[in-house]
Amino acid sequence: MSKNPTSHTPIDVGDGAAIPNKNDAGLFTAWRIAFFGAIFVSLYLAFGKSDPYYEIFKFVPDGILVTFKVTFGAILLATCIGLITGLGRISDNRFINGAASLYVEVIRGIPLLVQIFYIYYALGRFVKIPDMLSAIIAMAVCYGAYMGEVFRAGIQSIPKGQMEAALSLGMSRGQAMRQVILPQAFKVVLPPIGNEFIALLKDSSLVSILAVSDLLRRGREYASETFSYFETYTVIALIYLVMTLFFSKLIGIMEERLNAGK
Amino acid sequence: MQENSRLMIEAREVSKFYGAFQALKNVSFSVRDGEKVVIIGPSGSGKSTILRSINRLETIDRGTIIVDGMDVSDPKVDICKVREEIGMVFQSFNLFPHKTVLENLTLAQTVVRKRNRREAEQIALELLKKVGIAEKAAAYPAKLSGGQQQRVAIARSLAMNPKAILFDEPTSALDPEMIGEVLDVMKNLAQEGMTMVVVTHEMGFAREVADRVIFMDHGQIVEEGTPEHFFTSPDHERAKLFLSQIL
Repeated sequence: MSKNPTSHTPIDVGDGAAIPNKNDAGLFTAWRIAFFGAIFVSLYLAFGKSDPYYEIFKFVPDGILVTFKVTFGAILLATCIGLITGLGRISDNRFINGAASLYVEVIRGIPLLVQIFYIYYALGRFVKIPDMLSAIIAMAVCYGAYMGEVFRAGIQSIPKGQMEAALSLGMSRGQAMRQVILPQAFKVVLPPIGNEFIALLKDSSLVSILAVSDLLRRGREYASETFSYFETYTVIALIYLVMTLFFSKLIGIMEERLNAGK
Repeated sequence: MQENSRLMIEAREVSKFYGAFQALKNVSFSVRDGEKVVIIGPSGSGKSTILRSINRLETIDRGTIIVDGMDVSDPKVDICKVREEIGMVFQSFNLFPHKTVLENLTLAQTVVRKRNRREAEQIALELLKKVGIAEKAAAYPAKLSGGQQQRVAIARSLAMNPKAILFDEPTSALDPEMIGEVLDVMKNLAQEGMTMVVVTHEMGFAREVADRVIFMDHGQIVEEGTPEHFFTSPDHERAKLFLSQIL
């Protein structure tokens, strides 16, 4: 029995995306250099060196919008799948628990690229839906499994006494989950979900192998016509970098706000 | 004391196993309406386990427990109905940290008892006044001291108008200077006639408030009787040994 039952154990699920932290001065300046450097280099290439960079910058933004659509669509859907999976993973019902665990194990055991191909073509075989939607579903199914683990860990980080207190007041398990456990768990899972979002933003470039004109695919289209491979991929990399760093910062700020509100 | 009042809680031949370890061995006891029963014993004696079995936070493997006429040990019985009527106060308070003190008291009232918000808040404020903490209604639990949190937890339990309250070592997680304020609230409740089952190490409280003391050891009830008898001349060696160690 701990004396401080309301403190949550922080959970650490996530990958590479470095969310800048005010206390970490080195990383903070690294973020600045990378972010503003990338913007500066972009501006210089577009307006200072103009040819062919100006053309490239004019050609690829269509893809940025698609990349955003895929990323936001997939993160929303993945969060829903993740919540259901997470609840399934802690369920006492053997069938539900088994199904959720199987999903997580299968997805985690297959490379993301293979999954995207597989789900995209599997979907295409049975239903007629737009390419973009298939791509979003494919990404969401993959990320839903990881998100499921985030939610499972988040829910399990809430002290057992919270559920017991809710139950002993006469609430059903569902009521206790909705009113007491999940509101607390959401706060815990928000930072890892931010990390997943950044990772998804980057991995969304994988959908360029499908018939979805995201940022990377637009770049490939341009490059294969003009043969300016180096210039095109320089621009593509710069744009991804700016987007990723921008959202990392945004999530970092949101997290700080959240902690300040405690 | 209340010899003729009806039975509120009745446990018959209750056993519970954790694997090969038997946590409860044919435990039988009853609590009448209005009675205050204190369960004491060394740690690991099964006193918390039997208390938590009353509202099925622990399931039992053998025996029956009847609470307010409902068979808790019957899986078909809607346990929520039992828990609505039987409050519980925990060692670690277990207030909901994402809700204010007031919301802690109104949540179950609105969700379970289906009271409207105004009514629930009115009841909550009155109870907060009663436990001496009305000025903290808008605060979050983290801003409160342990003693204050436990008083809120008692008020939260009272907001459901329970027929009995179970206390699971309510003062064990508190700093010594805060134990008194919580015990005072509990004594007031006892005076008002609340049916209480209390697991505690506070022998002074047991002596003063209990109608009956149950002494448990190794998953069994070793001795049961009035506090005067138990504290002055216990019948069993194990009870004598226990008392000599803690008094």
